[in-house]
This record gives sequence, structure tokens and C-alpha cells, in this order.
Amino acid sequence: MSASFASGPQAPGDPLIELSGVTRTFRTGRSSSVTAVDNVSFTVRTGEVYGVIGFSGAGKSTLIRLINGLERPTSGTVRVLGRDISGLSESQLRHVRRRIGMVFQQFNLFSSRTAAGNVAYPLKVAGWSRAEREKRVAELLEFVGLSDKADSYPEQLSGGQKQRVGIARALAAKPDILLADESTSALDPSTTGEVLRLLRRANEELGITIVAITHEMEVIRAIADRVAVMDAGRITEEGLVYDVFSSVREEHQGSFVGSALKDRPTAEDLQRIRAGTSGRLVTVSLKDSSAVSATLGRAGQFGVTFQIVHGGMSTTKNASYGLLTIAVEGPDEATQGFIDQLAAVSPVEEVKEQ
Amino acid sequence: MIEQYQNLDWSYYGPELWSATQETLYMVAFTFAISGGIGLVLGMLLYTTRPGGLLANAGVYWTLNTVVNTIRPIPFIILLAALQPMALQIIGTGIGNDVVIHAMVWASTFGIARIVEQNLVSIDPGVIEAARAMGASRLRIILTVMLPEAFGPLILGYTFVVIALIDMSALAGIVGGGGLGNFAITEGYQRFRHEVTWLAVAVVVVMVQLLQIAGNLAARKVLRR
Repeated sequence: MSASFASGPQAPGDPLIELSGVTRTFRTGRSSSVTAVDNVSFTVRTGEVYGVIGFSGAGKSTLIRLINGLERPTSGTVRVLGRDISGLSESQLRHVRRRIGMVFQQFNLFSSRTAAGNVAYPLKVAGWSRAEREKRVAELLEFVGLSDKADSYPEQLSGGQKQRVGIARALAAKPDILLADESTSALDPSTTGEVLRLLRRANEELGITIVAITHEMEVIRAIADRVAVMDAGRITEEGLVYDVFSSVREEHQGSFVGSALKDRPTAEDLQRIRAGTSGRLVTVSLKDSSAVSATLGRAGQFGVTFQIVHGGMSTTKNASYGLLTIAVEGPDEATQGFIDQLAAVSPVEEVKEQ
Repeated sequence: MIEQYQNLDWSYYGPELWSATQETLYMVAFTFAISGGIGLVLGMLLYTTRPGGLLANAGVYWTLNTVVNTIRPIPFIILLAALQPMALQIIGTGIGNDVVIHAMVWASTFGIARIVEQNLVSIDPGVIEAARAMGASRLRIILTVMLPEAFGPLILGYTFVVIALIDMSALAGIVGGGGLGNFAITEGYQRFRHEVTWLAVAVVVVMVQLLQIAGNLAARKVLRR
């Protein structure tokens, strides 16, 4: 086993990864350049799952590679495991990287090695003895449910199985951090669930801190505790998953969060809705769904009726959220009173008619 | 036609053909033992020193690339003649099989370097990135990731090279060397004995076929298809 590196074990909640003012610029020509990551700062604490979501081309891939030194910041500092890694040499970085596992969108398995051989590779790099390696490989293949595929080569495995081998390989050398780079984007929906459950288990059972970048809402919902929304190289929003996605805010319109949620009626939806009702349309947040339900149940007391016309709820790792659009019908004054009451328990937004 | 071969003086041509075959094998094997290894190293350098490569180094890449591009297009018969003074310096003689080997080593080393580079280019860069992310050293990545990942195509590339060496060795007669090429020209062509020339053709064809079959089998085994 390789000697343990620099700092001691981190307690849950301690900062494990800290980016401050990090910018990464790529030169694309003699006088042109592209800024993939633009003055980004965030902290990931020990034991949490930190998600970064954004459209493709938002700079997520570059961002995640700054954490294990596969990319160097143009400016700013990257602290990982209590150490500033921005200035380390390639050979110094190797010691940091051995404590960080990485899972890739295209799996990146060694086609010349079996599943067991792939999982054993990082252990060889870390200098484990043969006996220790064999024991650990068996343990990990068991963990990902692929003990019977130990001798299979990557091309003999399905996409989901390949990614499970990829996860086993990333976890092999008992890293402190797992970086998941679009780990489910090449998978179909059913295997996506399989892989996400596995990542969640790695976090909950093995206590590994995970940074996951993705363009899929589902990934964030299923595993992340906190999320950063990335757009054009910048982090535009950050917070608990629940807070970021449950709020009803104007600025979400047209942004990633807005398009990921899809629970606000679009122009076409509105046309269809208008054909069925002439009531006043409002969108209400379901952050406190029981209070909203109770208020809706008292619609009769206000002398109004309502119709649910759009929306839905989603569940995150530890809460649920959603938006509901309703059409309220009744005398103007009563309608206003009812909507005011609704607004008192949960954020409400008037639906704009295009 | 069969009669022609029945009437051939086999007590003379048999041993002659056999020793010519041995000389060809000697030249090819000796050359390959040297250029196979050096070419592999140069090919890996070409691949890894290119911009964005694992050992990216513009100076080394530019120099190697230029040398390869300079030597490769020279027709072998010209190279053989042009390198004769150098052979005289290095091996002390200007004629014979060893002079041919000397020229073949120069020609094939740079040829192999290019073939190795081209096969390495086909490696998925993601796999190399994965090994880097695990904290593997560059030397370890070269030896335990790049080589195994490109092994199948490399076997086919090397098979191609050995067959090209048989082709080159046929020119040995120009500088007083032997082998099947020399046999075909001096025993056959120059004496108007075309059936003797065709003996050399037959041996070369069998040799190349066997090599290609062996190369294909080995590559298939490595690639598992």
C-alpha cells in the first residue's frame, strides 16, 4: 500500500475540495481563445454528493478535470484534500490522483484487460500486493454485482455493466473522492437507475465524497445533496438541490433550471389550456405541498372553483418539489382572495399570456 | 512444364535454393531484430511527443518526424548504394549480406516508427486519460496501457514490415549479397532459365503466405475476434 498522503482523514462536513476564482482558458488560435471555466468558486464538503448541471459546452468537463489535475487552472486556486494542487508537477499530482477515482461517460475501460484486470489496474498503480489485489477485486465486483463477469472483456459487457466495472475500478484504491463525468449519459433509462443507485451506495455505505457533472436532471435528483448550475463557464446558481429547483423565479425562464424542470406551461400548452378554461392562470410552487393542498381544498369557501391544468412533482434525494399551474374561476374579487391565500402559504406566479 | 522441373539438375539447384533461402531469412531476421525494437521506441516517441501527447515536446517531434519523412521516400535500391560508404565505416566492408542488412536497418527502422505511430493513434484517448486519472506514471502508461491496447494492430503492422523486408532483401545482389533475389537473377534470369527464376518466386510466395497467416492468427488471438 502506498503511504498515506499529506493530511489526515477528513471529518464529515470538512471542506474537501475548494475552488476559488478558478478560470481555465484555452487558446484556439493566434489571438483567439475560449474561456471554458470562468471565475468559478465552490466548496465540496467531506461526505456529500455535489452535482454540477448545465447544457453541454457549459464547461463542466473542464471543471471536473481541474479537481484531479487533468486540467490546470489559468488562474485561481484548486485545493483538494487540504492541499493546493494548482502548482504541483505531474509526478506530485500522481499521489493526489490515487486518492481520487474517476468514472467516465464512455467508460474508458482497457479493452486489453478483463473486468477483473480493469479493477486491478489502479491497485497495481498504488503498489498493492497480488494477494491484496485479488481480494479487493473480488470484493468490488461483488459490490457492483458483477462477480460472474470477472473474466469477461469489456466488449462482452452491456453498457450498464461496463459502467459498473468503471465504478468498481474508480473505487478500487479506496479513494476519498469520486468524480463522475456524465456517468450515465451513454446509458438507457433503466441502466441509468442501476448506475445511480450504485453511486448513491458508494456515498452512503463507503462514505465517499462524490462530484457528479451531468446534463440530466434525473442524476441530480437521484443522488445530489447540493447542486451548482453552470452556464457558459460560470456557476449561475448554487445551493441545496431542493432549494434551487423548487423556487419559482423569473430568471429561470430560458435558463437551464427552467428547461430542466419543464413544469411550467409552454406557449403551445397555454393554447391548449385556453381552449378548455377561461379562468385566471397561476403557477404555484409545491415546496410545501400539504399547505398548498389544504388551501386548494378550501376553494369552495372562497366561492371559486379551480382546475389543475399543468405541472407535477419530482422527488430529490431527500425532499420533493414541483410546480402546479391551476386555472381559477369565479368572481374577480373572490379569485383574487383565493390567490392571495395561496400566495401566503407558497410562492405563486401569474402565468403570462403570450 | 512439369517435365522441365523433372529434368532440372536438383543436385545443383536444390542446395543452391536452400542456401539462398537461408540467406534471405538471415538478412530479414537480423534486420528485424534491430529495427523492430528501435522502430518501436521511435514510433512511441513520435506518438507521445506530438502536440497534446503524453510527453508533448515540439522539438523532439519535429526532428523525428522530419527524419522519418526524409528517409522513408528514398527508393531502397538508391539507399543501398548511397549508404555503402557508411557501411564501409561501420562494418568494414562495402559488399555482402551485412551491407544489405545495414541499409535495411536504416530503411525499416523509420518505416516501423511510422507504422507504430499510426497504430497508436487508434488508441482511445479516453483510456489514456483514465490511466492518468488513476495516478499511473507516464512510463507505466506507455508500457501497460498503450502497448497492450494497440497490440493487435501492431502485430499486423509488424507482419507487413517483415514482408517488406523480404522484398528489400531481394536487392542484395546489387552489392554482392545473396538470397533468393540474387538466386533468381543470377541462376535464372541471366541464364535464360525462367523455370529456375520461378523456383525463387515459389519459395517467396510460400514464405509470405506463411508469415501473413501466422500474423493474422496472432492478431486475431490478441483481438479476440
